[in-house]
Amino acid sequence: MKRNLYRLVALFLIVGFVLIGCSNKTSNDGSESKDAVAQETVKKEGKDITIAVAANFVSLDPHDTNDTLSGSAEKTMMEGLVGFDKDMNVVPVLAKDYSVNDDATEFVFELQEGVKFHDGAPFNAEAVKVNLDRLTDPDSTLIRSSLFELIKETEVVDEYTVKVTLSEPFGAMINTFAHPAGMLISPKALEEYGDDVSQHPVGTGPYVFKEWQPGDHLTMTKNEDYWRATGNEADSITFKPTPENGTRVAMLQTGEADFIYPVPTEQAEEIDGKDGIVVENEASIVVRYLAMNNLKKPFDDKRVRQAVNYAINKEAFTQVVMNGFASPMDSIIAPNTQFYSKQTPYEFDLEKAKELLTEAGYENGFKATIWGANSSTTMKAMEFIQQQLAQINVELEVVPMETGTLSDSIWSVEDPKDAEIEMYYGGWSPSTGDADWGIRPLVGGENAYPPKSYNTAYYNNKEVNKLIADGLATGDPAAREKAYADAQEKIWEDAPWAFLVVDDTIFGKKNYLEGIYLLPDGSLSLENMKIVE
Amino acid sequence: MAKYVIKRLIGIIPILFLVSIFIFLFVHLIPGDAARLVAGQDATLQDVELVRKELGLDQPIYKQYFSFITGVFQGDLGTSIKTGRPVFDEIAMRFMPTFWLTFWSMIWAVIVGLVIGVISATKRNKWQDYLGMFVAVSGISMPSFWLGLLLIQLFAVQLGWLPTGGLESWKSYILPSITLGSGVAAVVARFSRSSMMDILKDDYIRTGRAKGLNEHKVVWGHGLKNAMIPVVTMTGLQFGFLLGGSVVIETVFSWPGLGRLLIDSVAFRDYPVIQSEMLLFALEFILINLIVDLIYGFLNPQIRYD
Repeated sequence: MKRNLYRLVALFLIVGFVLIGCSNKTSNDGSESKDAVAQETVKKEGKDITIAVAANFVSLDPHDTNDTLSGSAEKTMMEGLVGFDKDMNVVPVLAKDYSVNDDATEFVFELQEGVKFHDGAPFNAEAVKVNLDRLTDPDSTLIRSSLFELIKETEVVDEYTVKVTLSEPFGAMINTFAHPAGMLISPKALEEYGDDVSQHPVGTGPYVFKEWQPGDHLTMTKNEDYWRATGNEADSITFKPTPENGTRVAMLQTGEADFIYPVPTEQAEEIDGKDGIVVENEASIVVRYLAMNNLKKPFDDKRVRQAVNYAINKEAFTQVVMNGFASPMDSIIAPNTQFYSKQTPYEFDLEKAKELLTEAGYENGFKATIWGANSSTTMKAMEFIQQQLAQINVELEVVPMETGTLSDSIWSVEDPKDAEIEMYYGGWSPSTGDADWGIRPLVGGENAYPPKSYNTAYYNNKEVNKLIADGLATGDPAAREKAYADAQEKIWEDAPWAFLVVDDTIFGKKNYLEGIYLLPDGSLSLENMKIVE
Repeated sequence: MAKYVIKRLIGIIPILFLVSIFIFLFVHLIPGDAARLVAGQDATLQDVELVRKELGLDQPIYKQYFSFITGVFQGDLGTSIKTGRPVFDEIAMRFMPTFWLTFWSMIWAVIVGLVIGVISATKRNKWQDYLGMFVAVSGISMPSFWLGLLLIQLFAVQLGWLPTGGLESWKSYILPSITLGSGVAAVVARFSRSSMMDILKDDYIRTGRAKGLNEHKVVWGHGLKNAMIPVVTMTGLQFGFLLGGSVVIETVFSWPGLGRLLIDSVAFRDYPVIQSEMLLFALEFILINLIVDLIYGFLNPQIRYD
């Protein structure tokens, strides 16, 4: 009996040592080579690139897509009249040039000549018209139709000139054309496949669709007749949906993937600079905020909302919740959003927060609930806020909810007075990259209250509403800039939210890949990708 | 026998019909608005209403059920809300990967589990028994995602022998089936151990030994067959569960199977896919039960089918 016991103990010890051995190895490596640049370039076999992504693709029809990930895949195959550069500035793509009239109602595009879609259909003014007409068809059920609903008419001026007329001024329209939803599909494919074009994407882009096995992979091959000269060297691109963070990282380590995104922030430092891996991060345009219901006590008092802002240490939030991969917000929109204007931060100041609470008549604090999704990062964020606000005697109850339940709780409310929401931890990415889409849906007064839009703070300020309208009424960038700058200042002062952080985009790649990156909106750009020896 | 099987098969239809009503109500009772989830984060109310109409979600619930069930009888499971493709295609594409993964996991798990169980039973309270039960307890208590990630780290990242995930060749099956099967192997080991221990006390075993049969034949030849009955029941159940797609394992190994499809569909409130998948799982359970009953008859000829 005793002997058996010894054997058992010995077995435990052996297993234990094996496990410790495995984990030690990784931590030792971590301290050895930190410098990613100093690594030797790993050799790449062949020119087929694999990219592991976190979710499945939903659709490959840009007019019917609302997730950034599907948009990324579409962007490798399709292009729009205009697009975004690395800093989210609007740049010409299939349009050589464009002009806008003063009140932002007429847009004239001069098109590139001699461009062909992958199926041989010519790219011309007629093709543009077919696409825009598809989006603006009153019977259309395409998800992105609403972005283009202001278009009254699209005219073919001549073979390579298109004129788009809006029903009312809309200064942010050029950004809408640059949005992935504005990408153009071959008219021939549209006719052939109808709405099934979502499984047979045909564009003018650098890659041609090959096959899509949902849940497994999506592959495209190089467009040998691409109209633009690029340094792109990959023969094919394969996307692999890999939801588990650890597996995605492992794929990059083993070389099964050449590029992965996002990289989980917890593992970013551990893998950077090893096995030929480089991890890169850049500021995105995604903001993380804590909305407070401005119609409800105690949040109907500006001083309370400001106190909450002073009581949360955003630097600590960045470190604790985002593992350092974020930066504190200093306006309601992120710096890479067009017409951003920097505000004076609410520095972490508990004394000031307590003072403001006392002034507002809450010297003993108050109780509130905070809602948010049930993902681990969101829960961590909410618990952090709970802990921070406890310092000024504000007692928070954290209520994590599954996505569907959460959206039901927030967006099924018909009358703002019935809204139960008190505090809500949310995130927002203005996909057009324009200030309008970063402000209007979120704090744009009664017209944006749920369920119509996303004003979860039930914030309604007449001055701000007017400034938002002014910003849309003109195509003149200087006038728009002024309107949005004033709006941002006013909103910052009113503090409908506790302004938290701007996320980083974060990706990992093997060091033989160059020219591939994520845009601030989280979409992928690989048209200038190079494989270096 | 054939009559029995046919009777059972016909009996499936009303059961499935009832199950379909429960599933339908259950699926539509989950909070969450499919239309809003489909329309996406920055959709306007107008977009959401458009989607709702397009998907027929504005219809009364009994009408929605009626069109679902008539579709099922015509072999049409509807279209996925999320992808706009036929649900039948979505499920068919994911069925075989899950089926083969489950199949191979069960094969090794049952064999290994039985061997461990029988050895433990015959070497009761000896080191073989302790070792076997230690392995079994580890197999049950180890969270499968952790085991999966550990195996990936060891065999894919450190040693580079096997792929981290996906489904490309026979090698892709090894790590996920080890992960998936470990729990089953453990349960089989425990069940067969206790079942075997009971059997070894029975009179006919004593008689066999008294007649001078060698121990090997007593245990593996006579004992095992009878000890198998509870093991088969349990294995059948496990098989049913695993066929439903092991969500965790399919996620860890990026396996293009039914479990991941279900998770994606639930997150999206993709009603047609959830309903059809759950109906399929119910059917699988019923069929496996039938097979288990038939195996009983083979193991113990005293069981008669009427």
